[in-house]
Amino acid sequence: MSIIQIQDLKKYYGANLVLKGIDLNITAGQIVGYIGPNGAGKSTTIKILSGIISDFEGTATVMGMDVRKDALDIKQKIGYIPEQAALYDVLTPMEYLRFVGKLYNLEDGIINTKSNDLLRLMELHDKADIRMTTFSKGMKQKVLLISGFIHNPEIIFLDEPLSGLDANAVILVKEILGQLKKNGKTIFYSSHIMDVVEKISDRIILIDKGEVKADGSFEELKNNAHLGSLENIFTSLTGGSEQHQSTAQDFINVLKS
Amino acid sequence: MDKLVLTFVLAVARLFLQKDVDIDKLKIIVETKLMMDRRRVRVTMKKQSDKEPKNQLLVTQIVYAFFGLMMAGLIFYLKAIVLTMIFLHSYILFMMAMTMITDFSTIMLDTTDNQIILPRPVSSKTLFTARLVHILVYLLQFTLALALFPLIACFVVFGPLVGITAIFTVLFTVAFAVFLTYLLYALVLRFANEEKVKDIISYFQIFMTIFFAVGYQVLPRLINFDAIKRNFSLHTYSYFLPPVWMAITLEAIHDFNFDGIHVLMIALSFMIPAFAFWIMIKFLAPAFAKKLSAMGSSSDASSGKSISKKVHYKKPFEEKLSDLLSTNNTEKAGFELTWKMTARDRLFKMQFYPSLGYLFVFAFIFVFKSGQNIKMLWATLSSTTYFLWFVYLPMFSISSAIMLIAFNENFTASWVYLSSPLRLPGSLISGSLKSLLVKFFLPIFVLLFGFSFYVWGYTIADDFIFGFFNNILIFLLTAHFNSSYLPFSMQPNVKQQTGKFVKVFLQLVIVGALVGLHYVALMLPWMVAALIPFSAVGCYFMFKTIQQYKWIQITT
Repeated sequence: MSIIQIQDLKKYYGANLVLKGIDLNITAGQIVGYIGPNGAGKSTTIKILSGIISDFEGTATVMGMDVRKDALDIKQKIGYIPEQAALYDVLTPMEYLRFVGKLYNLEDGIINTKSNDLLRLMELHDKADIRMTTFSKGMKQKVLLISGFIHNPEIIFLDEPLSGLDANAVILVKEILGQLKKNGKTIFYSSHIMDVVEKISDRIILIDKGEVKADGSFEELKNNAHLGSLENIFTSLTGGSEQHQSTAQDFINVLKS
Repeated sequence: MDKLVLTFVLAVARLFLQKDVDIDKLKIIVETKLMMDRRRVRVTMKKQSDKEPKNQLLVTQIVYAFFGLMMAGLIFYLKAIVLTMIFLHSYILFMMAMTMITDFSTIMLDTTDNQIILPRPVSSKTLFTARLVHILVYLLQFTLALALFPLIACFVVFGPLVGITAIFTVLFTVAFAVFLTYLLYALVLRFANEEKVKDIISYFQIFMTIFFAVGYQVLPRLINFDAIKRNFSLHTYSYFLPPVWMAITLEAIHDFNFDGIHVLMIALSFMIPAFAFWIMIKFLAPAFAKKLSAMGSSSDASSGKSISKKVHYKKPFEEKLSDLLSTNNTEKAGFELTWKMTARDRLFKMQFYPSLGYLFVFAFIFVFKSGQNIKMLWATLSSTTYFLWFVYLPMFSISSAIMLIAFNENFTASWVYLSSPLRLPGSLISGSLKSLLVKFFLPIFVLLFGFSFYVWGYTIADDFIFGFFNNILIFLLTAHFNSSYLPFSMQPNVKQQTGKFVKVFLQLVIVGALVGLHYVALMLPWMVAALIPFSAVGCYFMFKTIQQYKWIQITT
């Protein structure tokens, strides 16, 4: 059953066409890795599906609801975690989660209990009442992750969720995503960390310059491209491999000169 | 100008600097920092942010020169060397210490260049001294602006010898001011963390802004310099104060009087600041920087109360208030966010809190007008209708918060409004406005009511009730007629929407009409009480209107 459907999705920023007619069907309960180079259109797609951007061409539905018409109903049922760890850091984690919880219309008791438990699981319980101005990027990212999950969404959109996290936290997030999938949740996430995408995704979609370049499971992509790793597939499909080698060689030559 | 001053500072600094400070590298660091400053907006100059930073520096120097001109006027007027020189040196000591705290704390407390510069072959002492020299380059330019006219006055009134000596006493006063600031920070850092220091700085900045407003408007109305001149005498404790040493030194030069006390004062004038400066470079600044570095590297695991297992969330006062006053969860979110952010956001505190200080300045100016005898006015105050100022003054100061809460340095965090299911974003705004009213308007209104009750008695109670609702109505109308921004969602310093002349005019007409109506209603004894329900209904209607704002009405 398709939980996300996109047809001929186009998005202009001024005269610049960043999404050039994307078609996608995402099945419920999958982890979808959405990868591509910088400026490929990953964040724009996620913002459209999350109901944040509404001026686009084509159609997009989430859980059968139109993202233009039913954006509020969609927002209630999805979780979105942006790329930048942007939050009001003069608040404490507890205060921030209470603020976000209220925006999702959650009751005080539920917010407090869940915040407590999730902060403890993310090893931030001893910092729950400390203002986040002194937090590292990874600690803020953890608070953001909790704020995206606190209302128990059906679909979770994550834009670079692992950025700034330490190795243990990356493993924890990977496990959490796996458990969410087992509980029937759909996860749509973009990342630059290829080995994580390779390991946890049921399906990998690679976009470049606003177009889908490859779509399938890691095994399917590997067989089609006859390449061993997702990183190699990525560089091959985005035309980077030879160029990177040549640039690296030029770099060394300049250093020697 | 920067380069010239830097050359002078380095020439003097060489006398004090230790061997492990690399002057060439120090010069490169300071020159680079000065270049970056020219491309950066200074913290306290936000209002002129669209102008070039260099112009801002010039504006500050002109303001300082203007204050210096007033001091020069005082020297010409009083012609009493000890008294005027105590004024001058106290003023310079105060101004330079305050300038250090308000404008250069960011440089003093900045640890970010530790990561950039210290991995290179630069000693930490070179870097810390570079910071100090960087500050001194500016401080000397401000000193020049501040002291130029008073020094000219010294030359003219007390002779060239006193004028030349005064250049040195002024410079030594600046050195002492820098020492005192470092000492203050070293003490604060000993007992508090970096956050606390930053809080203290913002309170100093607020105090400084209020001081200027109060000093400029109120002090000339209160101080009688002639009386001070007549009754002036030095107490024993005065001899412990650096401005007194400087003044007596200049008196010694002026009168060619070198008796025991004068020689002692001359020695103190030059030796204590020089010794303090040496102590600062040798011990205080490195220890201070070491402490800062330690804090910078341990900021992730910052101190705070550690909670062993489970956080027992105890509802703070503002959340209980928001439960009481908000009609839905979105409004609660707006109320609580605004309450907390206005207490912690430095940008807001810097811009808003001084306006609360102005409130008392306005009250003083409007009620105790210039030229009136304060004792006479106080005796007849209860027979006037001046209480109307106290009824409506709070709103003039608090209305500025409506626009200020739209802006925040972390404005990108407002993505959360867009990603959450907010059907009517107006509730966030109404929650925010309620928060401002309860937190800022209500306490001041009650305070002024208390004062007015003391002066005018119970007869003004109906005026304050009517005024209470009218104030809220004016506040809500001001919010309504301005662009509707979600709280803390806009980038600071971005030009706000302008050209809304009709809206502003309409707003002024409504304010004028409501206050005018109150004034007219005073003529009939029952009229004010009769108008209260209308004003209350108006408030209710405006709250409902704002709560119903749709996304299309929100400026993002």
